[in-house]
Amino acid sequence: MIGYTVIGGYLGAGKTTLLNHLLSVCDDRRLGVLVNDFGAINIDAGLIDSRSETTISLTNGCICCTMSDGYSEAIDQLLEARHPVDHIVVEASGVADVRQLAQYGRHPGLHLDGVLVVADAETLPQQLSDRYIGSTVQRQLEAADLVVLNKVDLIAEAELRARLEWFGKVCPQVRVVPSQRGWLPMNLLLGINSQRLRGSGASGEHPHYVSWHVSLAHAVTKQALEGFAKELDPAVLRVKGIVSEPGSQALVLQVVGRRWEVLRVDVFSVGDRGKDAAPTGVAPDAGVDPGVDTAVAPGVQTGTQLVAIGLKGQLNPQILIALAAKWLH
Amino acid sequence: MINIFRAKNIITMNPSNPQATHVAVRDGMILGVGTFEDVAGWGEHVIDETFGDLVIIPGFVEAHAHVMAGGMLQRPYVGYFDRPLPDGQVASGIKSYAALIDRLREIHRSMPDPAQQLIAEGFDPIYFPDQPRLNRQHLDQVSSTRPIFIHHANGHLATANTAMLKLNNVSTDLKVDGLGRDDSGELDGELREPAAMSLCRTAFREIQRSNMSEAAIRNFAALARNAGITTCTDLGGISIIATRALEQWRALTSEVDFPLRVVQYNLPAMPGTAADFEAVAHEFVRLKNSGTDRLRFPGVKFVLDGSIQGFTALLNPPGYFRGEDHGQLLAVPGQLLDWMLPFHRAGLSIHMHCNGNRTQDLAIETIEALLKVAPAPDHRHTITHAQLTTQAQLRKMAKLGLCANFFTNHLWYWGDQHYGITVGPERANALEPCASAIREGVSFSFHSDAGVTPLGPLHTMWCAVNRVTPSGRVLGPAEKITASQALKAATIDAAYQLHLDHEIGSLEAGKKADFTVLHDDPLAVAPLAIRDIRVWGTVLGGQCFKAAG
Repeated sequence: MIGYTVIGGYLGAGKTTLLNHLLSVCDDRRLGVLVNDFGAINIDAGLIDSRSETTISLTNGCICCTMSDGYSEAIDQLLEARHPVDHIVVEASGVADVRQLAQYGRHPGLHLDGVLVVADAETLPQQLSDRYIGSTVQRQLEAADLVVLNKVDLIAEAELRARLEWFGKVCPQVRVVPSQRGWLPMNLLLGINSQRLRGSGASGEHPHYVSWHVSLAHAVTKQALEGFAKELDPAVLRVKGIVSEPGSQALVLQVVGRRWEVLRVDVFSVGDRGKDAAPTGVAPDAGVDPGVDTAVAPGVQTGTQLVAIGLKGQLNPQILIALAAKWLH
Repeated sequence: MINIFRAKNIITMNPSNPQATHVAVRDGMILGVGTFEDVAGWGEHVIDETFGDLVIIPGFVEAHAHVMAGGMLQRPYVGYFDRPLPDGQVASGIKSYAALIDRLREIHRSMPDPAQQLIAEGFDPIYFPDQPRLNRQHLDQVSSTRPIFIHHANGHLATANTAMLKLNNVSTDLKVDGLGRDDSGELDGELREPAAMSLCRTAFREIQRSNMSEAAIRNFAALARNAGITTCTDLGGISIIATRALEQWRALTSEVDFPLRVVQYNLPAMPGTAADFEAVAHEFVRLKNSGTDRLRFPGVKFVLDGSIQGFTALLNPPGYFRGEDHGQLLAVPGQLLDWMLPFHRAGLSIHMHCNGNRTQDLAIETIEALLKVAPAPDHRHTITHAQLTTQAQLRKMAKLGLCANFFTNHLWYWGDQHYGITVGPERANALEPCASAIREGVSFSFHSDAGVTPLGPLHTMWCAVNRVTPSGRVLGPAEKITASQALKAATIDAAYQLHLDHEIGSLEAGKKADFTVLHDDPLAVAPLAIRDIRVWGTVLGGQCFKAAG
């Protein structure tokens, strides 16, 4: 299943910066990026492998396409590419209805990983009261799973608090992640890449984010996963859970902000190869991820892996431990 | 050789010489208009009596239409109102679900291949407020095996039958918003917005493909000819980067018997090789310079918002009368000036789609800022649709030299809905304020926005003159204009807007011999009869094109 992420936000919020950040980091995912036009993305010439009127191929395997032939055509073009992409990222126009764009991520073969809306912390209040775009900007924010509140270095702490209060009041369902220059962990933005969990912490090297994981030797039920997801506290921004069941099936839990879903997938499509995982319990220090395997070998052993990402100082391991103890025993 | 056409009456729209009986033509150009004596002196000639009992007016100029008008009529039409077809027949309007199902059954039975999908066009739920929404069960009554897809008139909705959903594996467990569901959570067949509509990809693709086809262009030209149009815009029909489509247009319009001049305004999509707005504008200039006698590219179109009947036009307070406000800009205001400036500086004409009056404020403010940065004495930039234009906006537009292109057909097709639902009585009465535009000195034209409504300048004129709705209401009699004023908007003033008034739009020595030939005089018949005048056909560059049927 190919992940699908929408990046929305009004002009000047930092969508392009965020996108360029994703393209340059890219970990080991092949990204297919859809943009309205190439004028918006400033790709380092050294990264460009080849380009045509509607496509730019990068040396790291990523592809950028314009949506000039229509939206579903552009998505098909990515899905039918010779080397299919792992994840589709759409850069929405500044006034796009991101809720509508998100719906393509629910088409067969795709998985709506997240709706990220970038907001300019400095000018947000003016934008919200602007007669032309106020309602559009607010609608975009309300449709977000995660709001990337960008340029927080340009505002005072009191202002930041006021912004966060506004979100709490107007769209309490949205999780807000403060940011500078769109620099955020890849796993936070595009979902936790299960292949990367083994080596480093899911939160990467970012100083403001921490990850937490649990690894169990038994499979839990769908109901248990759902119960766990429903009661997650607001400090949790992302979770990925994989339950390897007897046979060739696995359950995958994906949480982004307040939205979550549990999918049953063929285990080979999860993309994980794990060795036997012992029940390691909970990492003693959420900031130090010892590295875990995310799934056990299909058909051989059952097991449950869960990884969560949150803001340092907010993500409380004790709460997660208690929640895991309640639902995942 | 000189051809002298004699007619019962010739209305020239040239104020210096308003009426005539003869027009002399050589090599597609008018040599003279007047009495036989006035024009006979140009030399050896033949007198063409074809139009001896008919009326010649300047060829109609349709200032806002889409080639999609021809694309959609490759498929059966099931809309509420009668729709002229390219072959001159008329598809009669469908006024009930029973009639819809009957019509679809007929079509179904006429299709030899049982697996072929049936896609029909033009259905609009706004005319069936007392009915339950059209759903897959209605369509399953037509066939449980043939896939059926009803593409609604507004372009944002469709209804599929069970076989169509099945063909495309659209199942209940898909979570796409916009998949209509019944009380039990089962799919009801309604698909809202492209993300849901495109799930039925067999149908969606066929619709998209057909709008880019040669048949679409040929249908479009035939519909225009049948309606008496000699110059027709395709306003934002294709993207400048769709080179294949462009080549097709070039090839077809260069055929000797292609019956139409086409004026294309492309959307400002960025070609892959262009790095900035300047570069895009440069491409447009290149395109403009490549224009031919029958295919011109004078400018660029910006789409700034949605539609009033779709509640997606951005309105100033007090907003919509009934229904939920989904008003939204489709362009980024903070970018608009930067976008437009290179086009403006390059001398390209800018047409701005504004349905809501708040959107129109933005367009006017942007043009005002544009003109401060780069003054231009004769830009003729145009606000198209401009349906809710206020008096204050007209005053401002007059000062800035902006033109209006009113969607007068709305007075008929959605007049009752605007009165009762969308904007309420007062603003419905002020829709398409033609009389005010004349008073304030704003030059304007009319349009059909075909295929949204049918191509037919006599109908758009009729709407401006009578302002009658299907229920018999007269919307804002104070905004009625005379037939003569309406004819001006449909000919010379439309040509002015397209920067073509020195070539077409009136009958004068030196201009192109483009005529519309009518069976009656639109300035002499009763105002309510204008739309019923029969069109003989057109003359384009001196060449006769008889309407089909």
